[in-house]
Amino acid sequence: MDNEIYAFALKNALNEIQNICPDITNALIFGEDGAIIATDEKIPEKTTVRIINALDNIIEKTQTIGDLEKITIEGSKGRMNTSRTNSFYFVTTTSQNADLKYVDAITSVMIPTILKVVENFHPAPLKNNLQKTQQKPTISIEDETDEPKEFCESSLEVENKPKENFKPETDSLLVETPANQLIVDNLGGLLVPSDTVRVENQILLQWEEQCEGKEIEGIQLETFDGKTIQCKVKPIKDSKQEGKGIIQVPEKIRQELEIKKGELVKVRPILSME
Amino acid sequence: MVGKKKTTQELSIETEPVAVEETDLARDLRTTLEEIAKYEGVIGYILRNSTSAAIDLKDPTKIIDYAILSSSLFDAGEEMSTLLNIGDIKNIIIEGKDAKIISLTVDENRISVFMEKNANSEKILRKLHSL
Repeated sequence: MDNEIYAFALKNALNEIQNICPDITNALIFGEDGAIIATDEKIPEKTTVRIINALDNIIEKTQTIGDLEKITIEGSKGRMNTSRTNSFYFVTTTSQNADLKYVDAITSVMIPTILKVVENFHPAPLKNNLQKTQQKPTISIEDETDEPKEFCESSLEVENKPKENFKPETDSLLVETPANQLIVDNLGGLLVPSDTVRVENQILLQWEEQCEGKEIEGIQLETFDGKTIQCKVKPIKDSKQEGKGIIQVPEKIRQELEIKKGELVKVRPILSME
Repeated sequence: MVGKKKTTQELSIETEPVAVEETDLARDLRTTLEEIAKYEGVIGYILRNSTSAAIDLKDPTKIIDYAILSSSLFDAGEEMSTLLNIGDIKNIIIEGKDAKIISLTVDENRISVFMEKNANSEKILRKLHSL
């Protein structure tokens, strides 16, 4: 799951929780790997890192009690609580006179719910793909600097026909099953081929898995107006863009399909018949 | 010189009763912990101060693991207290899927009580805080 999405949703959630429950003086969420997922603005980053390190030091020794579920440190001026939800740790501090039942109700119900909702809203099922992000897909892709061979600009096909009328090329197979709705993002640059779109590596891996390892020759883009186009595909290079559900489309294709950045398109792979 | 002499005298007067009190407290603590060890679901305890330690665990193979975890809890507690400004530590409760631990300090004595997940930790905490 992309941490930036979590960070955005959870930071807002933390602020809202503190608004409705001012007894919560600090809040922080970090991952199993120690990465900061979200934190309120009151805790300086250095302090956050030290808190996580201190907790990590305990967490790594909790195998003997069946791995950590919850730690509560009761102090004379307040209380620190850390609880685990899936692969996340949620840290809160409360003031001395806090209504603990109310705080517990909020922290033990709201945060797990929000985490679940954020996960469900994610555009692609990434749970199993997370471990594969470092792997290269086995689709045929060329270097960005290479001249386009099979797909030159003149080979772009634009059809103002609905999807059911689309006929795949004779030597390729358009797969019906795996299709993703993705958000259009601009793709530009001097060396960017005008016939190649970029899709998240995870989606390519997902297609590959669903198509039982068949080679992905290209993709078909379909707009909501029913316009379709076939073009080449490469994985998105910037890892920060992973998990956002975007497709980077060069200007030429955007013009052909009359689409703009931010619009949704349906994308499905074209498989090689070989 | 006069000032220094006074200080030494004051210290020497105070030292003896404190030492006696600590011994009494440690004895009381051990008695209380032995009683707590009989509570339903309690796995054992560790009592440590600067000079001695008492360990009673039903599963001796886990002594080292529990001792390390217990020590880490106290260290982390102190750090958290400073970082998050929650004041002096009254107690620490850690829960895992199988067991939980209550740790607290009474004077210089560090106490950790280990128990099964469903044991009544509130009752144990009340007993320890009554000391």
